[in-house]
Amino acid sequence: MAFLNVEDLKVHFPIKGGIFGRTVDHVKAVDGVSLSLEKGTTYGLVGESGSGKTTTGRAIIGLNKITSGKVMFEGKDITNNISRGRSEFRKDVQMIFQDPYSSLNPKKRVIDIVAEPLRNYEKLSKKEEKIRVQELLELVGLSPESILKYPHEFSGGQRQRIGIARAIALKPKLIIADEPVSALDVSVQAQVLNFMQDIQKELDLTYLFIGHDLGVIKHMCDNIGIMYKGRYVEEGTADDIFSNPQHIYTKRLVAAIPDIDPRKRQEQHEFRQEVKAEYEQSYNDYFDDEGLAYPLQPVSDTHRVALPEKG
Amino acid sequence: MWKFTVRRILIMIPQIILLSVLVFIMAKMMPGDALSGMVDPNVDPERLDEIRENLGWNDPWHIQYADWVGGVFQGDLGQSFRFKMPVTEIIGQRIVNTFWLSVATLVFTYLISIPLGITSGRYNDSLLDQAITSYTYIGFATPLFIFALVMLWVFGFMLGWFPTSGSVAPGLEPGTFEYVMSKIYHLILPAFSMALITTVNTVQYLRSEIIDTKQKDFILTARAKGASESRVYNRHILRNSLLPIAAFFGFEITGLIGGTVFVENIFGYPGMGQLFLESITLRDYSVVTSVVLLFGIASILGALLSDIILSLVDPRIRIK
Amino acid sequence: METKSNETQQIAKSPSGFSIIWRELVRDKLALISLIFLILITVFVYGVSLILDQDEIVRVDLFSIHEPPGEEFILGTDYGGRDIFGQLIIGTRNSLSIGILVTIMTGVIGVIYGLVAGYFGGQIDNIMMRILDFFLILPFLMVVIVFVAIVPTYSVLSFSLIMTAFLWMGIARLIRSKALQEKELDYVQASKTLGSSNVKIMFTQVLPNITSLIIVTMTLNLAANIGLESGLSFLGFGFPESTPSLGTLLSYATNPQTLEYRWWIWVPASILILLLMLAIRNVGEALKRATDARQRRG
Repeated sequence: MAFLNVEDLKVHFPIKGGIFGRTVDHVKAVDGVSLSLEKGTTYGLVGESGSGKTTTGRAIIGLNKITSGKVMFEGKDITNNISRGRSEFRKDVQMIFQDPYSSLNPKKRVIDIVAEPLRNYEKLSKKEEKIRVQELLELVGLSPESILKYPHEFSGGQRQRIGIARAIALKPKLIIADEPVSALDVSVQAQVLNFMQDIQKELDLTYLFIGHDLGVIKHMCDNIGIMYKGRYVEEGTADDIFSNPQHIYTKRLVAAIPDIDPRKRQEQHEFRQEVKAEYEQSYNDYFDDEGLAYPLQPVSDTHRVALPEKG
Repeated sequence: MWKFTVRRILIMIPQIILLSVLVFIMAKMMPGDALSGMVDPNVDPERLDEIRENLGWNDPWHIQYADWVGGVFQGDLGQSFRFKMPVTEIIGQRIVNTFWLSVATLVFTYLISIPLGITSGRYNDSLLDQAITSYTYIGFATPLFIFALVMLWVFGFMLGWFPTSGSVAPGLEPGTFEYVMSKIYHLILPAFSMALITTVNTVQYLRSEIIDTKQKDFILTARAKGASESRVYNRHILRNSLLPIAAFFGFEITGLIGGTVFVENIFGYPGMGQLFLESITLRDYSVVTSVVLLFGIASILGALLSDIILSLVDPRIRIK
Repeated sequence: METKSNETQQIAKSPSGFSIIWRELVRDKLALISLIFLILITVFVYGVSLILDQDEIVRVDLFSIHEPPGEEFILGTDYGGRDIFGQLIIGTRNSLSIGILVTIMTGVIGVIYGLVAGYFGGQIDNIMMRILDFFLILPFLMVVIVFVAIVPTYSVLSFSLIMTAFLWMGIARLIRSKALQEKELDYVQASKTLGSSNVKIMFTQVLPNITSLIIVTMTLNLAANIGLESGLSFLGFGFPESTPSLGTLLSYATNPQTLEYRWWIWVPASILILLLMLAIRNVGEALKRATDARQRRG
């Protein structure tokens, strides 16, 4: 049994219209996504903006309503459970948000922010709580003295660390990281990423890592899923995706990763032109009439690609 | 466009129903009933009960409500015990005065606010603008009734320029030129007093709107293209800033209703507001409920009007 | 929501607190003067009315009807021979009290209503806004007057309840639109994933972020409510004559004789209302600037 299992997840948003504001159509933000995570690994969910990757993450943790499909966590069905109040799964599944500026309440002190989950689940005395918060801050590399400061007194990277401290306060098993570094300066990104890997080992965490930066994904993830318009186009191990991309969309994404070697610049450019030509030429072979991806077909044990039935 | 209008009108129906229920509840809460004032107190109580029964006043409330609504639809608002005649007739006499008072107020309001707002916005931070801003500053804080009292004191009593009560000089024949002139003469002071206070919002709105628009890129573009200053104002800025004001027209109606109660009371002007106050003091409740119902419907229609104009002016609203 | 410990230290550290409001008030001389004026008036009025015997002031004295201002009566007397100055003090106290009471009551109702509608959004918001729209569309003045006239046991409390019932919509609408914006921010989403209940999120997470808006709105509402109360009293549908308010004094001016010849009865009350409204507005506007960084004066 997989640690986290998502089966045929669909999240549709209604479009209201007409005189009575009835639902006339749906935006299919997530349209049949299945994925499974093993404990202690990192799963990367990649896609352009609007591809539904963030919605998938939020649906799993219960922030978006699931239209249909199933979410299993440690063998238990939590599809509808998690959005309702304090379940045990709430403690076990936590989230790190993209924007460290809006995800911390500006009117709260660090101690109140980090202690919020503790106050909800653990009855601690004021003193115990303070010690726990200080430990957590130390763990994420911040000074324990800063518990009385407000979020605006910290830099973006520090804020994201506060966000992480809050997420790991309840010792969760799974963390959904929604583009945790894309709002940060490049120089700080690596710091935060490495730190995330450190605590992963330390606390035996499982990550669902959502991102659009393939460099970051390559650095972090064991398994990767590529999304496009609410559907999967390809799924596999990091090696499968980066060394042996099958779908034309993945190929283009991989080709777009920048290379710092200036001598290869010409080569790179030609390669991209080639992939682009192939993309335009064979677009209709890889996507259906509506421009959506086909169902996934296995290529190897770990590797699945969205291809039409015939091949 | 029509979709928005239809939807907006559909929203109005429950509003009117709710209003009628509220008015009906108020009517039921009022002490006594119309009969206790209508009939000779010497009539024996048993006979009164009989009449009540015949009039359906002992029926369950929903039947009474249905009867009442049915009556309203046929233009039957009941009897006024004070005037001993149908409420419809009394209101018919008074509503004309209030109508003209409102029209005059609106005319004054726009005549004052638009030039002031434009001047203030166009030449912001000039001496003139500061004067206008001071006026809005004071006007915003002044309650209408105090201002109206002061106006009556100064222009009515001290200077004696305007009549201090009534809607027309006594003894004039309706329809004659003197009659009309006297009517207008009686209108000016109350309408002007009300307008000077209600105008404040519009002036402030117009000023900030123009100052805002002045700095927008499309105005810079117009200037850069070499459009003359007057063209920039007339064709670009004013078109953008004045249209919403046209749309607020309907909302003004709601404001006017409150205003007329004060102003008619202070200036002794025989309109609906005064009728309302007199009737409630004398417990002539069938008149009271009718006035509330009518003014309630008037403000519902005003809001409808505004929303529809607004949706014509601003396409973003239609999507909502 | 600061806890008591370290509060002073935190305020000094964080410029988002009361220090900004204080700085703005001090910098805006007009607002500062207004604030001092308000404090002085309030202290004076409440202080003096403790000593003053209200029954003494409202007792009719037929030997001193319509006395102009003089030595015995600083501001003269009204048609019942009652001291205008004393009535002014008690009237101001009563007007302020009911203004504050109504402002707090509408504030509490409006904030809760607006928070719930804005936070939950969707269908709940839709229905709640329809109800609010209906209240907004009622001819406020007339409905209030009718209720004042028909309420069986009429008292200061029932008067303020009636006013509250038809005045909570403005602040509710404002809070709702702010709550709609706030709830989209990630800190609210984060609180959900951390297991906080909706009620807890609304009142401990969202509310602290809209307090400045609430304070500003309530200050400005206070001025409006005092105006409305005196207006209703002026028409004779506010306080009874035995409990004078500023509007009661003005209502004597509906008598043309009083209006024309006995200015001392109604002019001081008018000026006082005007000054109160201006002062409260000045403070309110300064608060508004303090909470909006773009408008701060340096």
